[in-house]
Amino acid sequence: MLLTRRPRKQRRRNLLLVLSEMAYMLNVGERSDPNVEVHKFYGGAVLAVCLLALVFQAFLHKYGRWSELIDLPLLVTIYFGVSRRNPVTGLFLGGTIGILQDALSHDNPIGMYGIAKTIIGYLASSIGGRIDTEHPLSRFALVFFFFHFHQVILAITQRVLLNHSAPLFTLRLLLDSLVTAAFAVPLFALLDRLRRPS
Amino acid sequence: MIDTYSRHRPLALLAIVVVAQVMLLAFQIKGEHDVRLIRYWAVALVTPLERAGTWSFSKVGGAWGGYVGLRNARAENDRMRIELDQLRLRNRELESQAAEAQRLTTVLNFRSAHPEAAMLAAQVIGSSADPTSHTLFINRGEHDRLRINMGVVTPDGIVGKIVEVLPNTAQVLLINDKDSGVGALFCATRTHGVVRGSGDPDPRMEYVVNDEKVQAGDVIATSGEDRIFPKDFPIGTVESAKPGNPFQVIRVQPSARLDRLEEVLVLLTQQEVVIKKPEAAASAGEGAAAAALAPDATPAKAAAAKSAAGPQ
Repeated sequence: MLLTRRPRKQRRRNLLLVLSEMAYMLNVGERSDPNVEVHKFYGGAVLAVCLLALVFQAFLHKYGRWSELIDLPLLVTIYFGVSRRNPVTGLFLGGTIGILQDALSHDNPIGMYGIAKTIIGYLASSIGGRIDTEHPLSRFALVFFFFHFHQVILAITQRVLLNHSAPLFTLRLLLDSLVTAAFAVPLFALLDRLRRPS
Repeated sequence: MIDTYSRHRPLALLAIVVVAQVMLLAFQIKGEHDVRLIRYWAVALVTPLERAGTWSFSKVGGAWGGYVGLRNARAENDRMRIELDQLRLRNRELESQAAEAQRLTTVLNFRSAHPEAAMLAAQVIGSSADPTSHTLFINRGEHDRLRINMGVVTPDGIVGKIVEVLPNTAQVLLINDKDSGVGALFCATRTHGVVRGSGDPDPRMEYVVNDEKVQAGDVIATSGEDRIFPKDFPIGTVESAKPGNPFQVIRVQPSARLDRLEEVLVLLTQQEVVIKKPEAAASAGEGAAAAALAPDATPAKAAAAKSAAGPQ
């Protein structure tokens, strides 16, 4: 055994360094350029849009399964996350939307979507200050990425906490992500109109 | 320390929120508790909006559907109305053709059933412009060997006589014209008289004495004395009879529908015609060719039929 055991103090310092690095990566919004434009919305617009997204998501199920292709609450979480660029509000908004989504589904335990959307809201807010989120292509790519990330979090939550077998990736999910991303581009352009002029 | 906290505050909050939700999940799963309060609030929050959405969706959808349906219904209504008009026209045309075919069949059967009498079918192409004159024009004329004073009949009864012959047209004087006169007799009593036009739609039978018992419904036929119509051809029935001075006033209902003539037969000869019943005429029409091939049988048949029919 040539490898010698590192002192406990050093290991602790290394762990703190790794965590600090992770925090830096995750906390990009907080360390982003302060000159980055933060979009403000008309009063009540965020609340109204979030509620409408939840209502439509629940409502459109009545009119066919095609509505399952699009995750409107996820889109709203991403949009307001990247627009407001505040990780704290992003995570709370995502968490609230996710919990409401859980509450409106009859068999999901509360917190399943909540956890996923909390993380997505936080990440979207953090990334919003670092990259261009105004271009349709970047929006498409962002939503595509977040959709699958959201699905991965959901799958892990279901596997670890609920002991359910949830797929990480399927062709159906790929189709869903493409449809959701394509739908997001005009939806985000529509939601841009709710922004208060700076 | 404060700077570190403020720097990592969002991350810490994320961790707290996620951990809280994980614990909430664990609480629900392990304890098999349902967080009914959160669900209740969520449903209470969303349900009114859903209800309003459903209501407005159904109203808007209903109005839109009704509007579009109404537009479609109107367009469809217009289209169907046009189609109905076309079908009505077509139906009339077909009815007319069917009626014409029926009439022609009747005429043909009659003609075929009486091969002993030469007849020529003709179509009525017009009538007199004078309302007091009861005449009509047929599409046969001199080229068809028609001559003045030839009788014109239908299977129902006599119509009139030809008074004018042009190369391709002939004018027929109807029996209800005031200048018309036909030798007639009552089939039952064999009492003779003359059916004359009076200017009215119905002709009258004249020269019947008041002592003669005449009743409404009595059948009147040709007597053959006028040398125009063969004997015992139907003219009509008595409509009314009342005593007159010096003869009875007898109104006659013509057997032929003089106001609705379209096809007629011109009698090319004055040879006697034994009127057969319609069904007999129809069956005879089918064997017309055979009858035509055996002309010698015709007079015997006529005599037999005449004797069998008795006075008529």
